[in-house]
Amino acid sequence: MSTAPHASSPSAAGTAVAAVVAAGLGKSYPRGRETVEALKEASFEIRSGEFVAIVGPSGSGKTTLLNLLGCMDTPTAGTLHLGGQEVSGLSEPERTRLRRDRIGFVFQHFGLVPTLTVAENVALPAFFARRPAAQRVDELLDTVGLSARRNHRPHELSGGEMQRVAIARALMNHPLLLLADEPTGNLDSETGDSILRLFQRLHAAGLTLVVVTHNPALAAAAARRIPLRDGRIQP
Amino acid sequence: MNLSWHHLVLKEGRRRPLRTAITVAGIAIAVAAIAALLAFQRGYQRGLGLELDRLGAHVLVVPKGCPFDAASIALHGASWPCYLKASYLEEVRALPDVATAAPALMSAFPKPDGSQTVVVGATEEILRLKPGWRLEGRFPTAPDELLAGAEYARSRGWTVGTVVSLEELPGPRRIAGVLEPVGGADDGFLYLPLEAAQRDLRHDHALTHILVRLRDPSRLDEAVQRLRGCNAGMDMNVVPLTHLFRTLQGMMGATQLWLACVAMVALLAAGAGVSNAVLMAVAERTREIGVLRAIGASASDVFRLFWLETLLLSLGGGVLGLAVAAAASRAVESWLRDRLPFAPADPLVRLEPGIALLCLGGTLLLGSVAGFLPAWRAARLSPREAIRTPAGA
Repeated sequence: MSTAPHASSPSAAGTAVAAVVAAGLGKSYPRGRETVEALKEASFEIRSGEFVAIVGPSGSGKTTLLNLLGCMDTPTAGTLHLGGQEVSGLSEPERTRLRRDRIGFVFQHFGLVPTLTVAENVALPAFFARRPAAQRVDELLDTVGLSARRNHRPHELSGGEMQRVAIARALMNHPLLLLADEPTGNLDSETGDSILRLFQRLHAAGLTLVVVTHNPALAAAAARRIPLRDGRIQP
Repeated sequence: MNLSWHHLVLKEGRRRPLRTAITVAGIAIAVAAIAALLAFQRGYQRGLGLELDRLGAHVLVVPKGCPFDAASIALHGASWPCYLKASYLEEVRALPDVATAAPALMSAFPKPDGSQTVVVGATEEILRLKPGWRLEGRFPTAPDELLAGAEYARSRGWTVGTVVSLEELPGPRRIAGVLEPVGGADDGFLYLPLEAAQRDLRHDHALTHILVRLRDPSRLDEAVQRLRGCNAGMDMNVVPLTHLFRTLQGMMGATQLWLACVAMVALLAAGAGVSNAVLMAVAERTREIGVLRAIGASASDVFRLFWLETLLLSLGGGVLGLAVAAAASRAVESWLRDRLPFAPADPLVRLEPGIALLCLGGTLLLGSVAGFLPAWRAARLSPREAIRTPAGA
C-alpha cells in the first residue's frame, strides 16, 4: 500500500515542517449591508501525520475553515502555511495547482462523476495533473478494497463503497493533506465505522487527516480535536 | 487505465441520451439541408456547363414557343410539337456571323416500359459542333444507314456493320457507326441522314431545330439580333444558349439564396439549441464542476470539457447531417428532376468531398461559437460556491 503523503520538506533547522500553520486566520463575507465573520483569529498548527477533527455546531465555521485549508477560498485575515508554503495570497491558478498536487478532498455527498467507472473516477486527479494513473489506481483500489468493482459505475455501488472510491480519488496525487467534510454524514453507522477504520489505517500509514464531523466516534478516533463555536476556536 | 478528453466527453453524451439525440438531430437537419443545397448548386451549375459543351452550339434556332422547353427537348430528346421550314436553314447559313449551322429533325417513340427511342435526322455538319465525339465507323450517308449512341448500341449488342430492323423506322438499317460514350443524352440517340429522317418520319422539308456555331462567340448579342432580323426571324425562336443557361442559373440562384437563408436560420437555431443544451448541463452539473475544481481541475480544464462537449455534439450533428444528405441525394435528385423547367442530364445533386468538408468546418465553427458561453460560464464558477449547490440544481 502506498498511501503515504508527500514527504514534508525539512526546515532549515532540520525538523519536519508542520502540515498546516494558521496564524490569526479569519474569513468574512458581505451579506447585504452586513459583514458576516465566519471565522475569527484562528491560530493552530497541524503536524505532518496528525489526525485532527474539527468539531462544532452548525454555523460554527467548520466548513469555512475546511475551505481555507483546502485552498477553495482565500482568508480575509491572517496567514496560512501548508507544508511550509504561504498560501493565503495565492492566485486562483496557483491554488488550483496546490489543490491538485497537495490536497485530497472527501465530501459528504461523495462527488463521484456518474458517467465514469470507479477506476476512472479514481484516476481523475491524475488526469488533471497530466500524469499516468494506471498503477496508482490499482494500488488505491486495492487499498480501499474495491478492485473487483473497478468497472462499476457509481449508481451500482453502496454509499460506503462510493465513499471509499472518493477516498481513493483523494489519495491519487499523494496529497500532503486529506480533508474530509462530514465523510460519514450520508452513511449508516456500520458503514460509517468502516470508513472510520479506513481513515485509521491511512493515518497509521502516515497521512495527515483533517476531518469535519458531527460523528462522535470519528471525532473520538482523531488524535486531536479543534472545537469551533461562532467562528472561534474554543480553548 | 488512462483517461483522455475525448473519453470524458463521449461518456458525458450518455448522461442525457434523449437530450443529446434531439440536439444532434437539430444540427443534422440543418446540415443536411445546407449540404443538399450546396450539392444541388454544384451539380446544377456543372450540369449546365457540360450540357453547353456537349451541345457545341452557341445559338439554338427552334420553332416559336418556350425557349426552356425547346432547349430541354433538343438536349434530352423528345417529340416536337411544331416544326421549322427547311428553307430557314439557308437564311441562317447566309448570315456572316454563322460558322456552322447544323439542321436537325428529331422525333421520339415511347415504349411500353417508359423508355423511348429518339431518332435524329442530321447532316455531317453536326460533327463540327461536337468535337468531343469519337466514332467507331463513320457518320451515316446512305438512306438505310444509321449512327447509334453508345448506350443504345451496347444494350442491343450492335456493332458497325450490323443490319437491324426497328419498329420505329421502315426497312432494314445498317449500322454505319457507333458513337463512343459521351456521358449525355446522345448516348441513347439514333442518328440518320437528314433526308432519310424527313422521309421516314414523314416531315419532308421540315426541321425541328438548327444548332448554330458562331465565328466569334464574344459577339453573340449582335449575331442573335441579326438572326432575329432575317426574313424567317418572325417564324423562329433564336435562343442564345449561354444567355439561356445564365438565366436558368439566375432563376435557380434566387431560389437557392432564399433556401440558403432558411437553412442558415435553421443552423443558427440548431446552434442556439446546442448552446442551450450545454448551458442546462452546466446548471445541472454545477456541484460536479465544484468537485472537479476541488480535485484539481483548472478553470481552463472545465472550459475545455464543456467546449469539447459542444464541439462533439456539433460534429455528431454534422456527420449525421451529411450522411442523411448523401442517403437522400437520389430521392432529392428525382424530386428536383420532376419539377425543374430544365434539368441537365448529368447528376443534379453532387455531394463532393469539398462540400462535406465545408459543412463539417461550418458545423465545427458553429459549435465553437455555441459552446463558448456555456464553457465560459462553467469555467468562471467559484469552486466554493459550486460545491455548495444542490445536486442537479
